[in-house]
Amino acid sequence: MKDERPEDRSQEDMGGSRQVERDSQLSAMFDGELASAECELLARRLTRDDALRGQWSRYALIGSALRAERGVKLHDKVARRVQSALTQDPAYGDSSSADVAAISTRSSSDAASASLDSRWMRFARPVVGASIAAGVAAVSILWLRTQGPEPELLASAPAGESIVLTAQATDTAADTIIAQAVQPQPESPPVSNGEPERYSTPAPSSQTNMAPPAHFANYVVAHSEYSGPLARRLALLGIVGTESQTDEELEADAAAGAATQGAVQGGVQGGVRGDIDNAP
Amino acid sequence: MTVEESDLVLVKRVQRGDKSAFDLLVRKYQHKVVKLVLRYVRNPAEAEDIAQEAFIKAYRALPQFRGDSAFYTWMYRIAINTAKNQLASRDRSPIAYDLDLTDPEESHSVQTKLQDPDTPEGMALTEEIRGIVNSAIEGLPEELKTAIVLRELDGLSYEEIAAAMECPVGTVRSRIFRAREAIDKRLREVFEGGLGRTEEMV
Repeated sequence: MKDERPEDRSQEDMGGSRQVERDSQLSAMFDGELASAECELLARRLTRDDALRGQWSRYALIGSALRAERGVKLHDKVARRVQSALTQDPAYGDSSSADVAAISTRSSSDAASASLDSRWMRFARPVVGASIAAGVAAVSILWLRTQGPEPELLASAPAGESIVLTAQATDTAADTIIAQAVQPQPESPPVSNGEPERYSTPAPSSQTNMAPPAHFANYVVAHSEYSGPLARRLALLGIVGTESQTDEELEADAAAGAATQGAVQGGVQGGVRGDIDNAP
Repeated sequence: MTVEESDLVLVKRVQRGDKSAFDLLVRKYQHKVVKLVLRYVRNPAEAEDIAQEAFIKAYRALPQFRGDSAFYTWMYRIAINTAKNQLASRDRSPIAYDLDLTDPEESHSVQTKLQDPDTPEGMALTEEIRGIVNSAIEGLPEELKTAIVLRELDGLSYEEIAAAMECPVGTVRSRIFRAREAIDKRLREVFEGGLGRTEEMV
């Protein structure tokens, strides 16, 4: 015979009363009548305790049986089939935070990919955007640095004499005026602070054929007072680039005819390219 | 806390990665969903298939569920849409054109298959479970019987039942729990292994 000690009996009673209380909570939770905090704790317990889950199922069964739902078979077949079908589906979110150790199968189904992608994209998007912007800026700076000696020019020029605007006359002198930043020359003394910008008329040269129209050049000069050298250069390059044919080309076209047009265009392109290369 | 909030606790657990919490929701609502689908299809087996598909769809769409509505309301819509899609696809099915419904014999056979495909064993077991539950209810003290009936059949909240029975809410909770325990005990006695055994029998 086994003697049952009073303390063992009291522990059993405590365990039994705890179980009764837990079952009572389960019943209340099933009806949505359990306090929120208790509900969270019991939900956590439910995910681990098979016996409790079975009880949960039977509570559902009792309700269905009482309601005598016509045509509804009282079994767990649907639940079992759903559970089986979802074994290949991934769990959502961070399973460790939900106290689930058993969930380990993660497949590459659409839902999981979408969830993962959205989380990844949330962090990656700004980084990728910033990288692209930085890359474009770096390429632009490198490209502009290869176009001319302006930074050196600016660095070597004395203060107050850094940029002198001169006007270069073309064959038809009044037609074209180009704003060009050059080193100060003896015949065109540097502009001191406070003095108006100076325009000079240099001797005609072959390069003047690539000069932009006077109204474009004047516009740039008038509006480049406060712009930086890079911006001014870009504007001038744009003007020169749009000047597709010069007077010489037209003459060459007339002389050589259509047969030589390709060669003339090649020369023009070379001239334009050279212009860009030599642009201030 | 309401049923909606209680379900939301489980939904949030699913969204955090606890797949088994979804199983609890399925177990809770599977019979209701099958009953709902049976409004659209007469075949109980087909209704179960549709219910299964609806639950799977719900699981896959659960990350988008924000809790603006109750889980069951959301599930209800998914089940109805799934049932309607099933009906539409069945209408488009070429099999329907292969049936010679003018032949009385074939027509009767098809109708029988569509309307009454339940296995006798499954229905017998269901009736047995109902019998056990009803007999257990009859054996309950009056206050327990009233409490469980008001809850399960009339869908009253504990507070409403407390008002109806003129007792505290805690007493209602206790009565409903005791009623369930008494019925559950009878069920366990009959099926010994609980529902797992029941499923095997089905």
